[in-house]
Amino acid sequence: MRCVRPVTEKELAEALRAAAEEGERVEVRGAGSKRRMGGPVAEADVLIETTGMAGVRQYDPRDLTVSVEAGMKWRDFCALLEENRQMAPLDPPCAETGTVGGVVAANLSGPRRRLYGAARDMVIGMSYATVDGAVAQTGGMVVKNVAGLDIHKALIGSFGTLAVITVVNFKLAPQPEKTRSYALVFDSAAELAARRDAVLSGPLQPAAMDALNPAAARLAGLDGFCLLARAGGPEALLERYDRELQGARRYEGGQEMALWRAVEEFAPSQRFVVRAGHRLSDLRAVLESAPGACVSRAGTGVSWLGFDSAGEAEQWMSDASHAAWSRLLEWSDGPAGVYWPDPGPELEWMRKIKSAFDPSGILNPGRLYGRI
Amino acid sequence: MPDWKQELIRIVGERGYLDRPEDLRLYEYDGGVDKGRPEIVVFPRSAQDVSAIVKVSRRHGVPIVGRGAGTGLSGGAIARSGGILISFARMNRILEIDPFNERAVVEPGVVNLDISAAAAPYGYFFAPDPSSQRACTIGGNVAENAGGPHTLAYGVTANHVLGLEVVLPDGEILRTGGFWPDAAGYDLTGLITGSEGALCLVTKVIVRLMRKPESVETFLAIYDSVDDCATTVSEITARAITPAAVEMLDGSMLQMVEEAVHAGYPLGAAGVLLIELEGVREAVAEQAAQVRQACAACRAQEIRQARNEQERQLLWKGRKNAFGAIGRVSPFYYVHDGVVPRTKIAPTLRYIEDVSRRSGLAIGNIFHAGDGNMHPIILFDARRPGDIEKAQKAGFDILEYCVDSGGSITGEHGIGMEKIHLMDRQFSQESLEMMRRLKMTFDPARLFNPGKLLPERQPCPELRQPPVTPGGSLPC
Repeated sequence: MRCVRPVTEKELAEALRAAAEEGERVEVRGAGSKRRMGGPVAEADVLIETTGMAGVRQYDPRDLTVSVEAGMKWRDFCALLEENRQMAPLDPPCAETGTVGGVVAANLSGPRRRLYGAARDMVIGMSYATVDGAVAQTGGMVVKNVAGLDIHKALIGSFGTLAVITVVNFKLAPQPEKTRSYALVFDSAAELAARRDAVLSGPLQPAAMDALNPAAARLAGLDGFCLLARAGGPEALLERYDRELQGARRYEGGQEMALWRAVEEFAPSQRFVVRAGHRLSDLRAVLESAPGACVSRAGTGVSWLGFDSAGEAEQWMSDASHAAWSRLLEWSDGPAGVYWPDPGPELEWMRKIKSAFDPSGILNPGRLYGRI
Repeated sequence: MPDWKQELIRIVGERGYLDRPEDLRLYEYDGGVDKGRPEIVVFPRSAQDVSAIVKVSRRHGVPIVGRGAGTGLSGGAIARSGGILISFARMNRILEIDPFNERAVVEPGVVNLDISAAAAPYGYFFAPDPSSQRACTIGGNVAENAGGPHTLAYGVTANHVLGLEVVLPDGEILRTGGFWPDAAGYDLTGLITGSEGALCLVTKVIVRLMRKPESVETFLAIYDSVDDCATTVSEITARAITPAAVEMLDGSMLQMVEEAVHAGYPLGAAGVLLIELEGVREAVAEQAAQVRQACAACRAQEIRQARNEQERQLLWKGRKNAFGAIGRVSPFYYVHDGVVPRTKIAPTLRYIEDVSRRSGLAIGNIFHAGDGNMHPIILFDARRPGDIEKAQKAGFDILEYCVDSGGSITGEHGIGMEKIHLMDRQFSQESLEMMRRLKMTFDPARLFNPGKLLPERQPCPELRQPPVTPGGSLPC
């Protein structure tokens, strides 16, 4: 397979156009950290890597916005924002190796999704290269903007199947003055869910609210059903958390970072991972249904369940089909039969959009769980 | 009566349509300045009705335009090419309020504020709050991706819509997204939100409900320089504070608003900031101290703090009813919606002042300063020859300045028919081409809201001219 590593958008667009003209299939990736995610690329003739484009396009911290090239490492991106005590708090897995473009193309988010949202809430614009060899823009560099169709919404989570994301513009958040995290331990999923309900319906609105079953808790050095919360703000606010979450184990500084790193990297640490979408009220049922480790974004309604084999994962997805949960074999260590069992009627329209962007289907064939 | 009209009447019934000229006149405008008369207004009661209506439109090649309350400011809900205007006034049920799962399911004709009212007993609210929230509907909010003062902290409509039921141009009823976020695949819900009725018609919306904050503090910071007022916005950002809202009113607006609303705004000031903090008590207290320091550092003459809910409501009454107040002073006005990076607010205000001087028209400013969303309000008199053209030119000059400053021609009002000729100022031809391709994927017959949002490839001379038949405007 030929490998191309363009250093400009134009060069990348040209490589796409050339491949399209030759009828060559293209694998697109950043650093390749999420190849276990989203279903494998079937077969490709050309590999295009975005890591040659890793610059900062625009960053005035006073505007609370930033524009960076897609191949920039997520870690470097965070370090850049950190210098100004700002952040794009997506907390994605594979944060050490992954790229900005990859995080966005895979629509990754993490614990603080509860307060700050996902890529669809933080990305305000993009540039992207198409198979026609064009470089186009969507959105812009301001936090409020309703001009035109928000094509970036479709590119988020598209796994490189529509076009190649070349530049991403984010709106940023200031870092809180201090942060502190809490772990509450319970004997049962029922007790955990009840406490979660009490916190969510109360005045405290933590940035993160995750639930771990005992198998997942062990990975984070804990035991039992654990409810983790992360708070940020002035000391007076954190003292309020101390009072209201009495009995919780407290984490600060390096320990706090290590705790959340373990949670964020849960999915890549497992061999096969099913992502389930569900109502908040189904938290207990999801936790109890997990045969292995399970981490749930307990304030969002998305959970990740680990399995040792594709067969077990598929079995769980089939068993859970009676529940009104969305199910997706998101991470896999090897081939599986079905990655996305019930895509629903939206899929037909996704395929039409795919045809509009990539009529010959040369971009990342097989990605998006083999459905596009 | 043409066949297609008769077919429509069979769907919606004798009491489900309007087509007398005197009735149609009421539907030829929205809150903006443009006009266009539909040939019939239909009032469906269900998604099935909408689907059947859309199929008639398709079969006969008749354009179709959705309409909520008609409060939009860019001509989005106007039947520019005649045809069918589909009003969602009778699809106005709140289907579900589920505070436990932080969701509400509503029909498109539900009034924005009614969602918050229905959620209030449980301690929840719906965050997007356009100034017209007492009248505007959620369907229109989704179509235009509406904003409002509090979107500074909470985000715009797109950030609060999780799922949709829509009717596509072929009549198919499709559900997108759902009760929980982050579904696999392309985000159709996100793509449709803000698509101005050009891709589909929304028949049901699943929205996020948010917990009401424990504490709210509202400040009025008074300045004798507009520059100082604008600089405060950056100063607040530098102090890592994210207020729920930062609104600015300049001196001329203060005067107009105060005379009409009696909100207690100072009359002699050059400008004021209305700043609101929301959240947990301890966090708000800390931020309040910071906001006071930020305002003082930028030479605020006085900082008032609402002492109770009544005082708070009064301060907001001035802001939210500002547009009505203008009507007392000027028979006609034209409001724009450009956005600039936060650090460019002061130069943009100076530019607007220049435009005012050059055009000889008074321009007031009342806008969402926290996110750089300008609302210059150009006062004119349509009865005076040449005034309309001057007002239009002034508006478009300001929007071009916004684009050149790295901003956008619209932050929350939409492109509609008003700004369609400015799209190629903001986007390259390649970018517009991809948008058109997407539009054609959904609506190959181009019957959904034609002449809006996207300029034609080879614009016909008629469309190159900004379409205008100015009149008074309603609140944004």
